[in-house]
Amino acid sequence: MAHFALNLLHNLEPKRDSYGFALRPQYAQRYREYSSIYREEENERSDKWSDFLEQLVKSSQPTSENEHEITLKAKPDEVGGDINPHRLSNGDDSSRRTFSELEVETNVVRASKGDDSSDRTTSGGTEIKEGTSPERVSEGDDSSGRNFISDITRGHNSGKELHHSEERKTRKVQRWAEIRPSLTAIEETLSSRVKKRKKMKGEQIKGNNNHLQSIEESELVDQDSSELFSHWKELEFLVQGGVPKDLRGEVWQAFVGVKARRVENHYEHLLACNESEEQDVPSAAFGKWKKQIEKDLPRTFPGHPALDENGRNSLRRLLLAYARYNPTVGYCQAMNFFAGLLLLLMPEENAFWAFVGIIDDYFEGYYTEDMIESQVDQLIFEELMRERFPKLVNHLDYLGVQVAWISGPWFLSIFVNIIPWESVLRVWDVLLFQGNRVMLFRTALALMELYGPALVTTKDAGDAITLLQSLTGSTFDSSQLVFTACMGFLTVTEATLRELREKHLPSVLGVIEERSKKGRVWKDSKGLATKLYSFKHDRGSLVEERKDTQGSDTAADEKEQLESHSSNIDELLNVDSELDSLPDLQDQVVWLKVELCRLLEEKRSAILRAEELETAFMEMVQEDNRLELNARVEQLEKEVADLQHILADKKEQEAAMMQVLMRLEQDQKVTEDARRKAEQELAAQKFEVHVLQEKYEKAMQSVAEMQKRVVMAESMLEATLQYESGQSKALSSPRAGRGQSPRSENPSRKIGLLSFGLGWRDKNKGKSNAEESSESVHNNGSPRNESDSQETDR
Amino acid sequence: MGCGSSLPDRDSRLLGRPTSENGGGQDAKNLRVKLVLLGDSGVGKSCIVLRFVRGQFDPTSKVTVGASFLSQTIALQDSTTVKFEIWDTAGQERYAALAPLYYRGAAVAVIVYDITCPESFSKAQYWVKELQKHGSPDIVMALVGNKADLLEKREVAIQDGIDYADKNGMFFIETSAKTADNINELFEEIAKRLPRPPVSSDVASQTAVR
Repeated sequence: MAHFALNLLHNLEPKRDSYGFALRPQYAQRYREYSSIYREEENERSDKWSDFLEQLVKSSQPTSENEHEITLKAKPDEVGGDINPHRLSNGDDSSRRTFSELEVETNVVRASKGDDSSDRTTSGGTEIKEGTSPERVSEGDDSSGRNFISDITRGHNSGKELHHSEERKTRKVQRWAEIRPSLTAIEETLSSRVKKRKKMKGEQIKGNNNHLQSIEESELVDQDSSELFSHWKELEFLVQGGVPKDLRGEVWQAFVGVKARRVENHYEHLLACNESEEQDVPSAAFGKWKKQIEKDLPRTFPGHPALDENGRNSLRRLLLAYARYNPTVGYCQAMNFFAGLLLLLMPEENAFWAFVGIIDDYFEGYYTEDMIESQVDQLIFEELMRERFPKLVNHLDYLGVQVAWISGPWFLSIFVNIIPWESVLRVWDVLLFQGNRVMLFRTALALMELYGPALVTTKDAGDAITLLQSLTGSTFDSSQLVFTACMGFLTVTEATLRELREKHLPSVLGVIEERSKKGRVWKDSKGLATKLYSFKHDRGSLVEERKDTQGSDTAADEKEQLESHSSNIDELLNVDSELDSLPDLQDQVVWLKVELCRLLEEKRSAILRAEELETAFMEMVQEDNRLELNARVEQLEKEVADLQHILADKKEQEAAMMQVLMRLEQDQKVTEDARRKAEQELAAQKFEVHVLQEKYEKAMQSVAEMQKRVVMAESMLEATLQYESGQSKALSSPRAGRGQSPRSENPSRKIGLLSFGLGWRDKNKGKSNAEESSESVHNNGSPRNESDSQETDR
Repeated sequence: MGCGSSLPDRDSRLLGRPTSENGGGQDAKNLRVKLVLLGDSGVGKSCIVLRFVRGQFDPTSKVTVGASFLSQTIALQDSTTVKFEIWDTAGQERYAALAPLYYRGAAVAVIVYDITCPESFSKAQYWVKELQKHGSPDIVMALVGNKADLLEKREVAIQDGIDYADKNGMFFIETSAKTADNINELFEEIAKRLPRPPVSSDVASQTAVR
């Protein structure tokens, strides 16, 4: 239905884009070309997101609240069935209707209002609009008719109140709405940034340079936050691809951490303050802001269908509430656009807290009275430009164009009104997601990358800036822009920016200090100026006063005035001489007129030509970019193929190496085995040696025993010899002869033995003496010889 | 890298530029001028430019953030053409911090006030003083009282404008972007008052010596 309505819108209102913002006529054609692409992209991303969120809900369900059991798709039906029956009858399955849908409807209403009011067959949005208008007329008071665009879109919570046919008068406006449950996981994770920051602020009240932590940082700190971390890269990718229109308001709130920032009833309190203080005398500064806000309200998205009287009332309330909430910023032009944009996407109080988050955290120090951070950012950006695009910057220097002339408005407006809306929103998607200003720089660099080549061809400052403005204004290819920004400038990170900020901050502070010194003089002179106005008749005193304050300056001023006078005279003289040179004034006039006509005609044709050329040029640039990109893609693909080839080669080499390695390993195993076997053998041999040694020792022991026995035998022999000799003496007596006969055999035998023993003893006697001295040597040396001989046998 | 990290460097570089920019890249017949519009918020600076460049008037034009740029070429009777490179600045007071970026090196400053708003007139005087202090020494200044169509709401007398302009060597005109009254005249008059190249380079060198 949305798409149908969008189509309808295109036919009805070619001057506005699908968001209801004014479209410059020169871009209408381009926009029409891109609107179908946008539609395709939108379809694709809404599918992707609903898949992602479903997955997220599923994964977070077991752990988190049971009350959020309703899945993304079931929810709207249920709500619609319960509270908003008229929605169902429309066949509109989403109770959270998008800004764009609604805006379309209001448009339709406007278009059809003229001819037939009963033609209001359409939707809830229409009914509400119709419902509120009488109220407005009858009361003419914005406080009772506080209905605004987002109320309508977010009707589901205050569903009963939406039965305005019954209780139109008492209807309370819904200013705050929680975001859908499927997004709470994202919200919770990102809210941790906010809480951390609050803590940080509490700790160091004066440190004002701390931006929101980047997601990775905070994520690393508390891993337990949720399993969203695993989905993180996916989410990042989805965000870069764009947030679907009907989720954008809520997703942004999740990114900024609206829920965590919100202080209950604080917004009401601020509003009440504003209302009550209207009678009191407000502070001078606040009065100034209030005046400025009033001036700027009708100049914020003029003619936007959603910013009718009610829309502007809520815009006023929001801006005033913020001025009161944070007086160090108050109100700064550009903020009106941001507030307006947020109001188009979410309920008023949600928009307020989102606004607070963006201005106070993302852009802290940016919109304050002295705009320090924004000036610092310009210096940073110029440095980045010089680093990245030296050729382009050289050319701009040559033309006398300062980068900040162009980038200043880009940064201050966060690209609102600079690039087409689709692109603005896509850039904001990423910026709000990242939680810092990195995307601001990346986008600006991406624009320079896209259009730098065209800029280099320009011949003067005016042409360069005009061309860049018209090119940026036609950056309809939002995906190209966002992806160039996100992929092409990955080295631009919060850390590098912080470093550069520290580097450039002192110079900006120096200039501001200098100015503030002079500022006192200005204030004096300002006072003088008002005096000049109020006492205009009393000139004498005024002149005196002027002399008093300006003192030494006046002399210089007079000199300058003299100077300029003389130059004027010179000029007059010059003209005179020129006039003299022509014969007749009349002729000259005629000639000049002719010349003028000719020039005017030339000019007209030249302008036409220029326009033609510009469009052609823009097309060419576009083509060129595509070609370039294609070429790059091809080149990259080639590189990838090459790399793959190399990879394959490498793999082969690796395999070969592996084989060699395996072989080596096998060899090693074999040798190892051999070694082990040898070792075993060695052990066996050693064992044998040991055994042999034992045997040898035993043998030696037995030898020693034998020797003992021999000694014993010798002593016995000697004893017997002595006995024998005794016997032989006794034999010489007769007694001895008697008893001898039976024993005669015995002694003879004994003698035989003895004579043998004696002979052996005598033989050995000489030896044994020598042996005794060298026995020890023999004992040691001989077993070795034996074992050696045994080993050699083997 | 010489990226002008310190502001004094930047100043000297820029102060050197106006002479080359005003004198260079143009012959006696084709002038190129950097013009800056200054003045309180909502006095109609953007409307004047839009009327001059596109011939349009939009009662509900957008708030200008930072600054916006447009260029327009006009032909003078002496057959010279003047290409105006117009920087239209944001009006809110705090944007004054960024104004030097745009008025430095400008050959012309158009200071606009709203004849129905005395406050904007004093703001205009503030700008005149600021430019006398920090602008190029040979800058051509014009004081413009806009919204001249709202005669019945007039609160700043025409004589006050004339007097102040005279005192400060400025050119004065009242315009109405809504009715296109005096818009082209304003720019033509400025073009006439521009120093012509040979003269301007003399003046520039003199001022440089001084």
